[in-house]
Amino acid sequence: MALMVNITLNGQSIQVPLGSTVLEAAEHAGIHIPTLCHHPALVNLGACRMCTVEIEGERALQPSCTYPVREGMIIKTETPRVFNLRKFVLEMLFSERNHYCMFCEMSGDCELQTLAYQHGLAHWTYPTPNPRLHVDGTRKYFLMDHNRCILCRRCIRACSDIVANHTLGVKYRGSKTMISADMGVPFGDSSCISCGTCLQVCPTGALVDRKSAYMGRHTDTQTVNSQCSFCSVGCSSQIIKRSGRVLRVEGDWEGSNEGVLCHLGRFDPFYETRDRVLSPMIRKGDSLIAVEWDEALDCIADKIKETGHEKAKAWITGKTLHEAMESFVNVFEKKIGMPVGALESTLLDLNLPSNGTLSDIDKSDCILIIGADPLLRHLVLGYRVKRARNHGAKVILVGGDGKEGIGRYAHMKFEFGNLDDALKICMDSDMPMVLYGEGLGITNAEKVKVLESRAKFMGLFPATNGYHARELGLQDGVKRDHAKLMYVLLEDLELREETVQTLKKAEFVVSHSSYLGAVSEFANVILPVPLWYEREGTFVNCEGNEIKVTAAMNKPETVLSEVEVFDRLALRF
Amino acid sequence: MAKVKVATDWLAACAGCHMSLLDMDGRLVEILDKIELTSSPITDLKHPPVQGVDVGILTGAINNSTNLAVARMMRKRCKCLVALGDCAVFGGIAAMRNSFDIRDALARAYEDSESTVDGHIPKSEEIAKPIKAKAVERLVKVELNVPGCPPSPDAIYFVLKELVEGRMPILKDELLKYD
Repeated sequence: MALMVNITLNGQSIQVPLGSTVLEAAEHAGIHIPTLCHHPALVNLGACRMCTVEIEGERALQPSCTYPVREGMIIKTETPRVFNLRKFVLEMLFSERNHYCMFCEMSGDCELQTLAYQHGLAHWTYPTPNPRLHVDGTRKYFLMDHNRCILCRRCIRACSDIVANHTLGVKYRGSKTMISADMGVPFGDSSCISCGTCLQVCPTGALVDRKSAYMGRHTDTQTVNSQCSFCSVGCSSQIIKRSGRVLRVEGDWEGSNEGVLCHLGRFDPFYETRDRVLSPMIRKGDSLIAVEWDEALDCIADKIKETGHEKAKAWITGKTLHEAMESFVNVFEKKIGMPVGALESTLLDLNLPSNGTLSDIDKSDCILIIGADPLLRHLVLGYRVKRARNHGAKVILVGGDGKEGIGRYAHMKFEFGNLDDALKICMDSDMPMVLYGEGLGITNAEKVKVLESRAKFMGLFPATNGYHARELGLQDGVKRDHAKLMYVLLEDLELREETVQTLKKAEFVVSHSSYLGAVSEFANVILPVPLWYEREGTFVNCEGNEIKVTAAMNKPETVLSEVEVFDRLALRF
Repeated sequence: MAKVKVATDWLAACAGCHMSLLDMDGRLVEILDKIELTSSPITDLKHPPVQGVDVGILTGAINNSTNLAVARMMRKRCKCLVALGDCAVFGGIAAMRNSFDIRDALARAYEDSESTVDGHIPKSEEIAKPIKAKAVERLVKVELNVPGCPPSPDAIYFVLKELVEGRMPILKDELLKYD
């Protein structure tokens, strides 16, 4: 049990754990202290002085977010002296840069504005020289307007402490201080990886999302708690929508991803340029003709019967959720009798456990990355590895050229031939963690098994629901031969060229996908599928946790869920 | 009891604050029992009477020489000057121009705009001379600032009612809003 100290807060005697800050003690006692640079997910810095309190015996008022409690401390949080200093801090902030709310994107959700209201700031006491600072629009997804910045340094802390990217810092001093990237290059030319965590923690309108700017503030929008389904990390996310339109995605601070998302889940879905498939289509002559579901399904069923189920194959992407994946196996393999396979590796042949969690990465002192690159498709997991490295963990990479991605952060790099040396280092460490991927290979996987008793393992499944695809025994079907008839459930996947070529050899191809792409160029039947924010269901992430995906929007009437499609197809056999 | 005399005027404003004043609806009739609106841009008499008023209300920023003269006249003729709306309180929309040179701003408006053919910047001595846009209180003394873009009818009603009853209004909660 933690050691407790006795303190007096606004006349109330309370006990709080030794080592807490005055701010934490106040929260514990249900006393609200206004804050600005403080953010629950970040290390406190005491940059803004909003949370100052009066501590008996101290000469000046002290910032509660960084001040540790001690035995017998007497604290007052609501005296006129405290209130006046907070108001003074706000007046100074408003006099520094352009804080005209009526032409700011953040007005309504701005923390600076809210505090000004709470402190009765009906006007600006000090002149507003308003230096004209530049707006940095060099990044693809969001802008930095230095004119709105209050230098709270939340973005810097998010970038270095949470995401371990260390792009942001400050340049110059005093009132000339500016947030800068990589010692002063345009943000777009910097080492920024566009994870958007800084955007999410910015308390003012200094960081602005391009796609959702001026589309509505908190009171105009609805928030749907969901989970990101763009990779097998399965980050908790919040989908923000308004009037039948998804505006943006934010990370959920409560999730195991600790609020962090990457550009694959936060931004890229809003930059989709492919045309959506909105109804079933059949190729007649040279053109695709939109048809009713029954006609399309009849056509597919007839063709399978004509070809013979043994000469037909069905492949599924591991991006598919549980319910659809199970229904797929039940209908195609069990009912119709077609061989089924996955479009991506399910790591099944490696026969290794996957029992680690994201927090195991934090605890690990030696991380072995083998046959995978977490900074390629499992970015949030990659950030964790970088963070663990900051805290002293050794990062060992086996395989891969090491020039891109996680290779730049590896302390040691080994060829597969020297795998034994890497394994020995892991055996000698206290809490090794193995992150493995499809590049590992069966022979090397056998060798890695020596770590099973000591290390936590985590498979970096190439597809979102790869963990469950492995549980269902699905194997990478692409490695196997083509068939006369191919049915592919793609979701929103854009296939690799070699897979497209394999499919081209088939006589009859059914493409079940959300977007038109390379396969729809030659597919005989095309079926639509719901989009990421229209899907409802579950998947298992790389931690082995069941992840619940909630639909933020209704799917169009002409689009059926995968399960419904398979059920209706099954009735024809 | 004699009615409280109130005069309003606008400077560099969009008229939205006066719209919000009218938006008090039925309460406008009620408050007119207690106040006399001597002059305003939306009534026949435009200028505050020489004899003076109790409360003068200005909306908009001081943006040119005429605005300054109007603000000074109102200041001279009222006992309590209220700056109403974000433009009057902070400089507002007009203050966006401050980050540019006045000549550049005029050229953009009169010469370079997409719809202009052979435009020129008006130079007559009779028209107002533009100056840096400022909040009213930066140039004349103001007793009360009421921010908002526009301030809500509730806030305006509250302010007038408090003033009529001889109290200086203190805006808070829902009544204190920028934007």
